[in-house]
This record gives sequence, structure tokens and C-alpha cells, in this order.
Amino acid sequence: MAVNIKINGKAIQAEDGKTILQVAKEHNVRIPTLCYHKDLNPTGNCRMCVVDVNGWRISPAACVTPVWEGMEIETDSEKVMKDRKLTLELMLANHPQDCLTCDVAGECELQDLAYEYKAEVPAWGAKGTRYKVDSDPNPFIRVDMNKCILCRRCESACAEIQVRDVWGVAKRGFDEVMVAGAGVPMLEARCESCGQCVAYCPTGALSNKMSYGMARAHQVKKVTTTCSYCGVGCQFDLLVKDNKVIGVHSNSEAPVNGMALCVKGRYGYDFIHHPDRLVRPKVRRYLLEGGGKPVSSDQLSVISDRLSVSSDQLSVTSDQLSVTSGPWDWVEVEWEKALDIVADKFADTRSEFGADTTGFLASAKCLNEENYLINKLARQVMGTNNIDHCARL
Amino acid sequence: MTNKHIIHKPISPEILEFANNHEGSREAALEVLKDIQAHHSALTTDSVTDAARALKLPPHQLYGMATFYSMLSFEERKKVLRVCDGPVCWLKRGSEQLSVDSGQLSVERTSCLGLCDRAPAILVDDEQAGPIEANEAGKVCEGWRGAPMDYSKARKGEVRVMTALIGKIDPDSIDDALANGVYGGLKSALQQEPIAVLSEVEASGLQGRGGAGFPVGRKGRFVANEKRTPRYIICNADESEPLIFKDRVLMDTNPHQLLEGMTIAGYACGASEAWIYIRGEYEYQARRLENAIEGAKSKNLLGENILGSGFSFDIHVHRGAGAYICGEETALIESLEGKRGEPRLRPPYPPTYGFRGQPTAVNNVESFCAVPHILKNGAEWWKSLSGYKTPGTKMYMVLGHVKKPGLFEAPFGLTLRQIVKEFGGGMLKGSKFKFALCGGAAGTITDESLLDVPIDFSSGQKGVSLGAGAFLICDQNVSPVAMLRELLHFFAVESCGKCTPCRVGTWRSLEILDRMTAGKGQKGDVEELKILADLMQVSSFCGLGQSVGIPMKSALAYFGAEFEKAES
Repeated sequence: MAVNIKINGKAIQAEDGKTILQVAKEHNVRIPTLCYHKDLNPTGNCRMCVVDVNGWRISPAACVTPVWEGMEIETDSEKVMKDRKLTLELMLANHPQDCLTCDVAGECELQDLAYEYKAEVPAWGAKGTRYKVDSDPNPFIRVDMNKCILCRRCESACAEIQVRDVWGVAKRGFDEVMVAGAGVPMLEARCESCGQCVAYCPTGALSNKMSYGMARAHQVKKVTTTCSYCGVGCQFDLLVKDNKVIGVHSNSEAPVNGMALCVKGRYGYDFIHHPDRLVRPKVRRYLLEGGGKPVSSDQLSVISDRLSVSSDQLSVTSDQLSVTSGPWDWVEVEWEKALDIVADKFADTRSEFGADTTGFLASAKCLNEENYLINKLARQVMGTNNIDHCARL
Repeated sequence: MTNKHIIHKPISPEILEFANNHEGSREAALEVLKDIQAHHSALTTDSVTDAARALKLPPHQLYGMATFYSMLSFEERKKVLRVCDGPVCWLKRGSEQLSVDSGQLSVERTSCLGLCDRAPAILVDDEQAGPIEANEAGKVCEGWRGAPMDYSKARKGEVRVMTALIGKIDPDSIDDALANGVYGGLKSALQQEPIAVLSEVEASGLQGRGGAGFPVGRKGRFVANEKRTPRYIICNADESEPLIFKDRVLMDTNPHQLLEGMTIAGYACGASEAWIYIRGEYEYQARRLENAIEGAKSKNLLGENILGSGFSFDIHVHRGAGAYICGEETALIESLEGKRGEPRLRPPYPPTYGFRGQPTAVNNVESFCAVPHILKNGAEWWKSLSGYKTPGTKMYMVLGHVKKPGLFEAPFGLTLRQIVKEFGGGMLKGSKFKFALCGGAAGTITDESLLDVPIDFSSGQKGVSLGAGAFLICDQNVSPVAMLRELLHFFAVESCGKCTPCRVGTWRSLEILDRMTAGKGQKGDVEELKILADLMQVSSFCGLGQSVGIPMKSALAYFGAEFEKAES
């Protein structure tokens, strides 16, 4: 069923049951929002999206008010523009004035609206003085409730998307504050650090601890990629500054996961530039030099324990035990060389002991095609069914 | 990384038992929290978490509640003495503070206790007491509680319908009630079709007595027309608005009249079950209602197959825990469902989507109390009670600087002048009328220019609101600035915090008024109050925030000069 309404004088046939905001959006009329997010159930808390409706005593919030037959809506009358500006100023009165150093400046919805509406920061109010900064020990999520505007998106995201129900509202009136569980640290309130709350927070109240202070929004290049951790195929944006990945942001256009990510996808990116990360193949020195497998220092100590003798009584030369240059050293080699060694070892083992003495473990970090190929390698080239995959665990 | 391991602890057996006593129902969250507090004199993070686990609810929900309702506390308390902060008590008490030996009592300030006719009033744990002078605190420790005001004698000009049996029956006796004709309306209703009962109430023109004046019959028809069952009846007895205490008197003096009205409503709407949501501070009245329910059940006036009619109906009493906002019907329903008392989005309205998502009729105590009389005597009789366009009688409360403050019942269309002179006995000696706060805390403040406006549900537009029927009369010594400060203090304390304009607007307005009453006003204060009042009125989420602007704007309109004087 359709209802006839007018938005800013333009006659519109709208679908019954839709909200003013939905209909306005369909007709390219922008209404500002803060607590509203398309992924979450609307709550009507912030009152940024108030509009004028002809004949109404109050200005309804567009995000939660359904359209009715005959409604005449003004989305940018002088009155509602003034009211939105004032509502913003009430928020800013209690919001720290630290955009200069705030981590989310440049991608903060409150900042954008305050700028758009030319809001003036009132001289009164509690500006960043009410709560401890960085108040939660969660290793990934930085909490600064001074910046919270009580839109409650974190609560909705946690309840509706992650279904963990960590965040909630405590106290009332001016003292109202978001809390985890019964006012405990997030992890104690069953938080699994997925960071959904951070992704949906329109301000810097919840931000990412790992990338805190590392880059301004305009300094990063966003590179959309697919998560390498498991087979779901979530997409997100890598934040790249000076050719380094400094963080991960949700990409609302991601087809599989939308804004949702797990703790590994969102925060498990530090392996990328980790000094311990292998970027080229390495092989043991003795494999390059030929000859048999020497006794390692670890094995040596096990043997000496069993024999109840000290290791120097065993006849091994000191360079065999040396940590810095010995047969057990890792030596960086070309891919060709490394693959040759692996292939040779596989071939030897297969011919001497049979194909079923070899096995293959495939990785979720590989593409589907790569996993298919390793399956071919195992079954058809090697001739064994000993193949498994880490995502099966 | 944090090294703190989360150790799994079993739920405290005691808390499990509290939960099991309520069948582990999530709706009983408030009761479980109250049980814990009663046994341990305070709530703790651990006990709240355990309660959440026992009820299979997220801990934040229970913590949100525990920090929302003012009667719940994380601080260890002894016997709690709550000193009323309401405007009537403030007016009576002046600047003097009740001094109490804190060795025996934990003293707290609290929003209006609904004991305005006993001002200055206090609540000692759950015992209502007053009036008490500032230097008389000692007698409270010795057991003194004072006595409720006696309304058994009608004032001159009163038309008594709902108050007709005050003092004539023992409110705790079902036999007394029956002997005096209570439940006659129910008997008459049960002989008619439910639709005929609805039509009778509609024809009477009865409007909701909570303040909004929505036609009671039409609301009932909305519920009856919903196909889904079960349907529910809820009585809003969360009377928390400063100045208002009529529902307390009605429940106290004739609880059966309310039960009868609710049962008729249940029959008419096809409902099976009802709840009376009574504010936590009315424990005495809650017990009286529970006793009355037992009495009614013993006479088959409630329960299965009432009086052989085939209609079955049950009424439960649910106690709040200190939150004005729960008087807003959707917040009340949220609270009844075991959540923070925050208003819901509307639409859908309760007749479509109410308690447990089912069709629900929520009405004020006084609205229900009028229903039996309409059924017993007919809609025409109800209309004939009033010579004014609004039919029926209404409970009024006149308070402040009048000779005979208190409660009375009269038809609509009274003027402030009549209320002060005829019913209030005139101004106190030496007092001259300066202004009145009309309707309740969220009503208009008006000067003497509007003394002759007939008052009804629409007179608020002319500057004299009816609200729930209370009028606080103030003399020449009361500053409207100071009065407005008291009101904003109330709203700031009671704002639920859901929406920005009300959450910050009430707080900021109070800050300005605090300054102005302390002689530290600044240029621009009046202008800012006006702007805030405007914003809250049009932009707030619910009726609480939307009505804060009413006393603010009217006070500024009539006493602008005094406010401007307070700027410097």
C-alpha cells in the first residue's frame, strides 16, 4: 500500500510502514543522523534527525517515525536546523575539545555534523572531566567515555550483530553512562574483542588501541582486501600509511560480512610487519652442504640426560653445537633451491617408505584454488589421502 | 594482553533461590534485585551479575536497572529515611533541613513522595510519615509517623462519586465494600455484552485522568478490536508527579473501587489478566491492594468464572522502585517487563503492542475508579454530574498557601479563583495570591490574570493546565525563579537520559536556575532558558522532556521581570 506525502514540497508516493528517513533517502533528501545506523535497529535517541511535520506540535525523529497519509515534511526548515544545531551544542558541551589530538578526528560523525551546522562549543559543561581516559584494560579497544554522546550504537552492535550483550546503559539522566556488564572491564563482561562497538561508534569514545596515534584519517590509504584467516572470506580495508599496514577498518560494502569482523580479522594484522615474519624461504645449513643429519644441541642434551653424563663428555665437536654457525643454522635461499630440497625429500621418502608416510596440511590463509591444488598434489602426484585443513578444526 | 583469567564461579545459591521464587522470570528482575538488597542492605557488582545469570539476562541489563531505580543502591544503608524534595515540601520546609542522628538512619533526599497533603513528608523505609518539622526528627526514631489526612468530610461544593465512601467503609473489608454497593457496577456490566459496556463508557465521555485526557472508552475499543490474545489491562498507579496524590487516597480509602473498575475494563476489552503498577514508595497502599485482591477473590469477584459469568480475570500488584518516568505508559510497560523504565518508540501504541507485545489498555487509577459508577448509574447520569462541557467529576488537589489544603472531588470547569476561595478556604492570613503551578510539576505557572479561566483538559492552551488536577498556590513571598529551580531539579533528577535534549537540557537549565537563585545570574540566562525550553518541548523523545518546557515557558512569560532581575 502506498501513502501520499510531501517532502520539502515535493509530492511523493511512499511505501506504507517506511520511516521518514528511509523515504527521504530513496528520494535523495539528506537528513543528518547520529544514533541511527542502517545495520542497527533505530532507537531515536540523539534527536539529530528531527524534521518538521505540518500540523505537529513536536518535531518527530525521522529515523523512527513512519510516514502517514497526507504528511507534509520539511527536512531543512529554519526551525529544525536551529534545533539540530542546539542539540549538537548540548552534546559538545560535555565532549572534550581535543579534536587536535583525538585519534578519530577526520572520520568522526560528531565532528562532521558540528562543522556542517557551525555549532558553537558552549562555555559550560563537563568537557572530558568526568571519566578516566583509556579506562578499560582491553588490549584492542580504547575506551574514553568522556567522548561518548550516548547514542547507544555500541549496545545495539554488540547485542544485534555480535550477540554478546556486553555493552549497556547505566544510571540515568545527566549521569547516564555506557558500561560493560555490571560495570566491569570489558573482558570480564564476556567481551571477545571483535571491535564491532568500535566500528559503529560515531565518535572517539571507542577507538582502536593498536593504531592509536599512528595516523590521521587523511594520511592513510585504504586498501580493500579479503581476510586471510579463515574460509568465510570477510572483506575489510587495510589502513596503509607509508607502505605499512597500521590498522583495519570495516568496509560497509563488504558483501559477505558487512561491518562485522572477528578479533582476528580486525586486530590480528600485526604479523604483517613483524620482524619474525618469514618473507623468504630458509633451510638448515646441513641441507645445503649435503651429508647426513647431524645431532642437534637439543637432541644432545636429551641424550646426555639419559646417559647421566655431561654433554662435553660426548664426542661432538664444538662447531656442531655452535648456535651462530653450525649445521642447524637457518640459511636464506632462493625459492627454487628450497622447493628442490622439499621435492627431493618427498621423493626420497616416498620411494623408500611409501606414499602414505607423507602428509599434507593445507592452510586457510591460502585461496580456494591453492587449497584445491595442494589436494591434487597430495592425492594425484604423491598418491596419498593424508591431507587435512586447518579450518576443519 | 590481560592476564586476568575469568574464573567460572557458580551462582550464589541464595540468589538462585530468589530467582526461583519468581519462577526465574525475566520480568521479575526488579523483584530479585530488591530481594538481594533487602537481605544484604546493598547491591554489589557480583550480586547483580549473579542475578543476571540466574535470570539468564545480560549483566548490563540488571546493572542498568540497579543504577536506574532510585530505591536500589550500591551503598550499604541502615534504615533509610527519605526526605521529600518535592516542591510542596520545599515550600513548607523553607530552607530548614531535617537534622537526623545518622547513627540510626541513613538519610537520603528523594523526589516527590506523593505525600503532598502531609508536607513536609518523609518515608521511613516503607512507612509514610508527615508532616514533620525540621526540629522534630527525634520523634521519627521513636516511632512517630503522623497520620494521613482525613477526607471523610466533604468540602462545601464537592460532588462526591469516587470519594463517596471515604470514611464510611473499612477499606480492608470486602464485606463492608459489598454492603455499601461496591461491585454493583461489575454486576451490572457482567449482565451486558462486553461491547455494550464499552459503548456505555464511550457514551459517558470519560477522559483519561492521568493528564492527557484521552477518551477511556476509545482506548478500550482499540484493545478490544485487536484480534490477538491475551490482552492485558494495566493500571498506572506510579503517581510520581510532584503535587499529585489523588491515586494514593483513592487506593487507600476504597481499593475495591479500583479493582472493580479494572475488572470491568478487563471484561469489556476481553482481557484475562491485569497489573497494578504502583510506585515503590506506596508500599502501604500496595499491601492494601493485595489484601483487597484476596478479599475479592474470596467472594468470586476476581479469579475463575467471576459470579458465574464465565469471565475469568486476575489482578497482580507490581511495585516500582523509584522512577518518575515509569508513569509514562510505555516506560511503565518496559519496567513491568523487567527492564530500565525508558519510554518506547510510539507507534506502535500499547493498545496494539503493549505488555509482552500484546494489546494492552493502560489507564490511570482515577480513570478506572470512575468506570464502576458509570456502569452502575449510566452514561447519562455521569454526564449530568457536570454542568460543564466535560462530563463527570474529577479529583482536585489544592496545595500551598491556602487555608484548607488537600483533596476534593468536583465537576470540571472550576476556575483557579473557585479552587482557592471556595474549596481551598481562601488564602492564608497575610498571604496574597501571586502565582499557581497548575496540573502538576509539568504544568503551567500562571499569575492572577488567569484566575477566572474555566479549567479542563484543553485549558492548558490558555495558560491553566489541568494535568492530573493539582494546583499549588503560592503567595507574594515565593519567587517563581526559585519554584522553577525546584521543578527543574526534579526533572533533571528524573530524566531517564535516553534523548539528548532532555538529558542535557534539564541539567543545563537547572545549572542556570541554581545560579540565578543563588544571586549569581548572568546576562543571557533568561534567553538561554527560553531556547532550552523550546528545544526540549519539540525535540524530546517522550512526554517527560516535551513537557518540561511548559512550566519554564509560562513562568518566563508571566514573571519575565523577576527572571531578568535574577540575571544580575
